[in-house]
Amino acid sequence: MPAEEMGKLTGRTRLIFAISSVVFLGVLAISPFKDFRREWKQYKRSYRRFAQSRPDTKKLLADYRPDIDQIWLPGMNVVDRCTTCHQGITAASLSDQAVPHPFRAHPPIPHNVRDWGCTVCHRGQGPATEVSEAHESTLAWEQPILPTRFIQASCGTCHYADLPQTPQLTRGRQLLAELNCQGCHRLQGIERPVMLGPDLTNIGTKVSREWIYKWLKEPRTILDKDANVTVNGYETEEEPRMPKFRLTETELRALAAYLSVQRTEALAPYKIDARVVAAWSKNPELIPQGELRFRQMFCSTCHSLAVTRAGETKMIGGDIGPELTKVGSKVNPDWLIAWLRDPHGYLPHTRMPRYGWSDEDLYKVTQYITTKLTDSDLLANVPQLGQATEQEIQLGHRLFLEKGCASCHSIEGLNPQKDFGPDLSALGGKNASELEFGAAKIPHNLVSYIQAKLQDPVSVNPAARMPQYNWNQGDLDAITTALLSMKGAPPTSALQNLVVPRKEVAFRPTGAFAEVYERYKCYTCHKFNGYGGDLAPDLTYEGSRANRQWIVDFLKNPQTLRPTLILRMPQFNMSDKDAATLADYMTMVFQHPAANPTTIDSRQFTPAMAALGKQLYEVKYQCQACHTIGGTGGYVGPNLNNAGGWLTPAWVEAWLRNPQALVPDTIEPRRNFTDDEVRALTAYLMTLRQSIKPQSTASAAASHTATHGAGQ
Amino acid sequence: MRLRIWISALLLLTLAGFPGCRKHAEVAKSDPLLAAYDTEADWTDAQRIIPLSYQQAQGKRIFYQQCVWCHADATPAGPSNRSNLTPVPPLLNDGAALNAESDEFMQNIVTLGGSAMGKSPMMPPYGKTLSAEEVHSVIAFARAIAQPQYQPPARAGSQYSAK
Repeated sequence: MPAEEMGKLTGRTRLIFAISSVVFLGVLAISPFKDFRREWKQYKRSYRRFAQSRPDTKKLLADYRPDIDQIWLPGMNVVDRCTTCHQGITAASLSDQAVPHPFRAHPPIPHNVRDWGCTVCHRGQGPATEVSEAHESTLAWEQPILPTRFIQASCGTCHYADLPQTPQLTRGRQLLAELNCQGCHRLQGIERPVMLGPDLTNIGTKVSREWIYKWLKEPRTILDKDANVTVNGYETEEEPRMPKFRLTETELRALAAYLSVQRTEALAPYKIDARVVAAWSKNPELIPQGELRFRQMFCSTCHSLAVTRAGETKMIGGDIGPELTKVGSKVNPDWLIAWLRDPHGYLPHTRMPRYGWSDEDLYKVTQYITTKLTDSDLLANVPQLGQATEQEIQLGHRLFLEKGCASCHSIEGLNPQKDFGPDLSALGGKNASELEFGAAKIPHNLVSYIQAKLQDPVSVNPAARMPQYNWNQGDLDAITTALLSMKGAPPTSALQNLVVPRKEVAFRPTGAFAEVYERYKCYTCHKFNGYGGDLAPDLTYEGSRANRQWIVDFLKNPQTLRPTLILRMPQFNMSDKDAATLADYMTMVFQHPAANPTTIDSRQFTPAMAALGKQLYEVKYQCQACHTIGGTGGYVGPNLNNAGGWLTPAWVEAWLRNPQALVPDTIEPRRNFTDDEVRALTAYLMTLRQSIKPQSTASAAASHTATHGAGQ
Repeated sequence: MRLRIWISALLLLTLAGFPGCRKHAEVAKSDPLLAAYDTEADWTDAQRIIPLSYQQAQGKRIFYQQCVWCHADATPAGPSNRSNLTPVPPLLNDGAALNAESDEFMQNIVTLGGSAMGKSPMMPPYGKTLSAEEVHSVIAFARAIAQPQYQPPARAGSQYSAK
């Protein structure tokens, strides 16, 4: 190249320079362009366009900024950029379902999004700025968005106490407890009760080896593939407690052998008075009379029976105790008598009350049970098992422990098997990589895992010992929700402070009252100060509500106050002393501060006030829509026929002013009565009196027998 | 010169292709039942499951606690009180009777009671028992289960919708 041409660019080089600089410029331009096209920026812009199409544009765009929006709550570990795209989340005018996502407002909930963030409840990756990263499971983030169906699980993460707004979660927790899941698994917030399944120390005195074999092979309550529950072949709503285990023929025989020799304490048969037996055994009325007593004592409040009406068989009765349709073919008659006389002697923690029996009643009822509540085919398919051999018993003992039976059933001398299954108290916070999916072809996430495991335990782990349940979709989702809510202890102290603990106030009275209270197991159905069952009215303030004499009369002869109730208080054949002890304690202790008897003197009620009250009741407020007086009126509230004899005026006044202040979840709406109206209505209700009379001759005879029996 | 034009045209074309490279947001699979907060079986056709939003589900809860006793034919505790009452209260899903009523009317009759709105005094006022929000949610639930289906009035700012 000549020297003069050095330093001079040829046309060709220029061209190369020009092209490459344009290319560089172009490549550089891609970066801002890509930035401009980022997902969240597109959502930002489309929100602005959307807001401009709404009538309240100005309000919607008041705090609009084109950059990333973030909720930062350092104490709770929350860095949530969700509001970058979900921009209308707090705009009340965007709550309409016609508003497209992601701009629709959040439904009104008690927690403000600015104070809580989003991922605390919805999970997902808060700092992410891309739709898929924020919502889905990625390699770096294994907590995807929780499907809305299970969102109540998040309420349960902090609210250990049950909330009225989360029925699905409450149902799930209830199912976990009722199905005795806590027998094998550690569950957050669900304690192991004193007794899960029945104690089997003396099971050999109660049932035969054949019956145990049948029970293990085919438990009474069966959930079929379509999630229909049947008890002894009849459809029911009851939850199965004893699940079906996968047992081989040898295992069945061995377990039945082992259990049938469990008879630590020999049964001491009770001799029913020979005169009673002589008087009744030949009487054709024996069985019908036994059935009548069985009904009058309201055994059906806790136990159900299969009843055939018009060709259709239905289970009728409660589900606190076991179903009894075929119990006569199950239990040893001597055991039955001993059990009915003193259930607590056989099972100290049973919920069955100890009734006061006369020999006559006991004979009639047990004869009814052993002759009528039977099924000759119950053990038809069971092979002859004969005497248990030592070898079978040994094997049965081993299997009893291997299968985890001792998790729920205790036998004297055996250590209870706590934590037999995996600890589930932090399952809800687990990452998918911590779970064993086995060969199961399901999406690898926590929700699918829980549901697959619940539906078929063997599908994710061939060696699973968990028995097979068949759930319906609702129950499956409820249990999944409850399990998802168990995330273990909150990770940060700020979240720890937010936990609303479950209120556990076991009501443990002492003294004479406690003895009677334990004998009749009042807490099985009634609630006392937040503790107990919810089948019957809450008795926390019963002393303020009811007159003492009425309580005594009711305990001696329970009447139904609510006409539609099928389940009623059983007749305990209570002695006068027991009734007086209960009534005295209730009137002394179960008092509500708002219903102060000293402020009201029943003498101040004049007939004129009562007449006005009657008018208000019948015409202005039409209380008969829900309450019955003298046979007419509605079925929703209690019958007021004997309101004057039953209720105290102080309670009625306080109730009329604000029912929810006395019983928070009562359905009676709070009204806007004036003081005069309250007094007039109270005056009227106090005039309503009706002595408790037996309704028919049959029950008259029965109540005579009852008093007679209790006196013995 | 021609070469330059060609090259710049080529560059422009390349650039124009870039937007095509961005990831398309996946179209969400929309099964209304899976996305629903809760569901309710149609009262007239048990096979049909109606998806409920959060608000409607809250309404369902309050309905089964407070209203079911008179506004349904079966209750959790057995037979309904409905047949005892004259005039017979409408079923909550009775679209023929309730679809024509405005949201304001529905809200008032629940809050203030039947007598305040010229209807049966047997309907008690719930204004002191339920919050305004709870009343809204019950109405939203009624709209969701209405048979025939509820069509919101065609005007802006309607608060509750059936869908």
